[in-house]
Amino acid sequence: MDFLNPVINGFAVVLEPMNLLYCLIGVVIGMLIGVLPGLGPAATIAILLPLTYNVEPVTAIIMLAGIFYGAQYGGTITSVLLKLPGEASSVVTVFDGYQMAKQGKAGTALGLAAIGSFIGGTASIIGLTFLAPLVASFALDFGPAEYSALALLGILLVATISSGSKTKALIAAAIGLLLATVGRDVFTGESRFTFGSLELADGIDFVPIAMGIFGLGEILYNLEERHRAAKAPSTVSNVWPSRGDLKQASGAIGRGSVLGFFLGILPGGGATIASMASYAMEKKRAKQPERFGKGAPEGVAGPETANNAAATSSFIPLLTLGIPANATMALMFGALLIQGVTPGPQLVDENPDLFWGVVNSMYIGNILLLIMSLPLVGIFVKILRVRAAILAPVTALITLLGAYTINNSMFDVTLVVVFGIVGYVMKKFGFEPGPLVLAFVLGSLLESSLRRSLLVFNGDPLGFFSRPISATLLIVFVLVAVLPGIRSMLAKRKGSSLEETAPVQLKEKV
Amino acid sequence: MTHFPSRRTIIGTASAVALLALTACGNVAGGSADSSKYPSGPVNLTVGQAPGGSTDLIARAISEGASKTLGTPMPVVNKPGANGALATKEVAGKPADGQNLLLINASLITITPLAVSADEAVNIDDLDIIAGLSQDDYVLVASEKSGFKSIKDVTAAGRNITFGTTGVGTGSQLAQTVLFKQANVKGTDVPFDSGKPALTAVLGNQVELATIQLGEAMPQIKAGKVAPLLVFSEDRNTFLPDTPTAKESGYDVPVAQYRAVAAPKGTPKEVKDKLLAAFQETFKSDAYKQFNEKNMLTPKEISGEEVVTQWKEYAAKYKGLIEKYSISLSGTK
Repeated sequence: MDFLNPVINGFAVVLEPMNLLYCLIGVVIGMLIGVLPGLGPAATIAILLPLTYNVEPVTAIIMLAGIFYGAQYGGTITSVLLKLPGEASSVVTVFDGYQMAKQGKAGTALGLAAIGSFIGGTASIIGLTFLAPLVASFALDFGPAEYSALALLGILLVATISSGSKTKALIAAAIGLLLATVGRDVFTGESRFTFGSLELADGIDFVPIAMGIFGLGEILYNLEERHRAAKAPSTVSNVWPSRGDLKQASGAIGRGSVLGFFLGILPGGGATIASMASYAMEKKRAKQPERFGKGAPEGVAGPETANNAAATSSFIPLLTLGIPANATMALMFGALLIQGVTPGPQLVDENPDLFWGVVNSMYIGNILLLIMSLPLVGIFVKILRVRAAILAPVTALITLLGAYTINNSMFDVTLVVVFGIVGYVMKKFGFEPGPLVLAFVLGSLLESSLRRSLLVFNGDPLGFFSRPISATLLIVFVLVAVLPGIRSMLAKRKGSSLEETAPVQLKEKV
Repeated sequence: MTHFPSRRTIIGTASAVALLALTACGNVAGGSADSSKYPSGPVNLTVGQAPGGSTDLIARAISEGASKTLGTPMPVVNKPGANGALATKEVAGKPADGQNLLLINASLITITPLAVSADEAVNIDDLDIIAGLSQDDYVLVASEKSGFKSIKDVTAAGRNITFGTTGVGTGSQLAQTVLFKQANVKGTDVPFDSGKPALTAVLGNQVELATIQLGEAMPQIKAGKVAPLLVFSEDRNTFLPDTPTAKESGYDVPVAQYRAVAAPKGTPKEVKDKLLAAFQETFKSDAYKQFNEKNMLTPKEISGEEVVTQWKEYAAKYKGLIEKYSISLSGTK
């Protein structure tokens, strides 16, 4: 099995002490910020991005990935114990998790969530392991035409499948596309919107935008929130669920894994949507749906499994196609670019150590999280007592320092401040920053690929349909564009079950 | 309350000591004007390209050798932007004391001005060139599906041919557009962001030809996935001895990437001599020689004056070629 050799070599990469250490650091930071309702994984990765600059690419991505899936574990803890979701993707866990805690079954809820997360995460890694080489075998068939179709599809999905208002998401995406046009035209050398500034000659760098909008913007916005004082958490005992609970939840864990895997791959999807869809599905399937909201184990196990499965599977489009599926993946994309690695179909073959190192680190990271999450619950809950007055200035300082170190440029620091304000204002007026940043990343890809393909096709747009992959992608694009119409028709026939999630304060975080 | 004034005294003394220390430091830094004491602290080597690329790697190889001879660290500072114009303008504006150096690409002087507006262009006379470093050759490669095995196949094809370049205003674009004009072949210029995507497009048969730097193309040439048609250097490249030059095939288009170390204009002669000696010591080291070999760079360790003359000659030559064949590098034909 030649195919398995690089996979095994990947384990050798992960087991290097340095990489193991960074994996541990990553998942611990992930759990910490998962517990803190203020900071999400995207903000944390944005802030810590420059710190990874001086380590090996594989080590850097192992750590950043750890932050992402670690946060999915951490977010559960406060949902269950304090009715305070640490992450948007753990919001639905509150319904049944907190009820279970009130019934003295907090340990069971946390145990189920941890086991479910572990199974969901692992299932997605296995999927990734087998799917990636398959996609990579098409690597050379991916030319400008395919990338244009892919970028087009990605932008559409990002703008339509976001959790907030669709119009606002479209507006944000349009601004992102506009920002992507700044800088020298790659095809003519003409300067666009640079106002004679040499700093803007190559366009706006992705990293300051992400650090500003996700990092600084998030910090500023959180200053407005008056955090509820942390209540004393319920006592946690019996973290190993009883056989009866496990039996009850096993179906939910299995379905959550599959659902999360597919929703994670979808551009614009991700952990939050996966957890909500799983909750809705479990409730629909249950024989006694009235148990939900009163401490049903499936209501915890399903969403927690799904969000972890989705967090892991969202690495698939990034690592195999170079298309970030959600905001956090856009940051991973930035991290890889800083390291001089352009993610795309060639990554598996050209950088097998990096690819398999990162993928395999997720097995290790999930085991670390499973071991740590239960005994350390008490410590993590204490983190909530750190006051925003201390946390905010420290993180803001780290963000600005970090922004300077990437290109040794004060201009980048100014950009971070400007986009920090933009991010704050967007949040304030209910605009999701995710579509803006993703459209920015995909916008330059779309423009250059589109113009490149038209050059190759001699200006004939029908050329896109002469190539099987780009034709298929464009057909999917059309389907997705008309899908909302079909869906709303279906929704009119059946009542939507998702609407019941509305009463909980849903503060979307990226 | 007796301890109160005493604490004040301590603070006062402490700040006085700190002030003294600061002025002492200031004296050391001020000493840089006296060039016999050069270098007075770390010498920054600025690179106008992102880390990991060939220009950056060369800077790191050079700084490692020269810092040993100079006895002071020589950190490489990456300041990417506008093809290196941003870094060049910044270093040119620094004090001419030899503490700030620049690793500069010839294309910024010879080719970029042909594609960008005047205020983005850089003038070599704003800098003192200390030493030339090496030559990085361009090779024209053909995809498997195109069936081209030599430049004759291309000229005999009698149809429109798509070719990938490493971007607008690069040697890759200049070399191919001029070659196509001279060979009277019709072609479509497809710019990519750098060498790697252009090579991938050839491998995937999205374009038929591409001109990229030898170090990038070599693994695929050796694997037989792309066919080398010609090199654009004046003489055959030692790493690719069986591939003819454009000149041999009858085309007058000598294009290569050259690199040199520069300092702000007006750097004292003693400082420049000291730096030159340090670089020459590096050129002799085995580690640096191996670095060049590994990256398929041909040493071109010429004096600063020669660099200026040669680069100006190339700039004039390219300008002449472009006007002669009425080529616009900015695609607006």
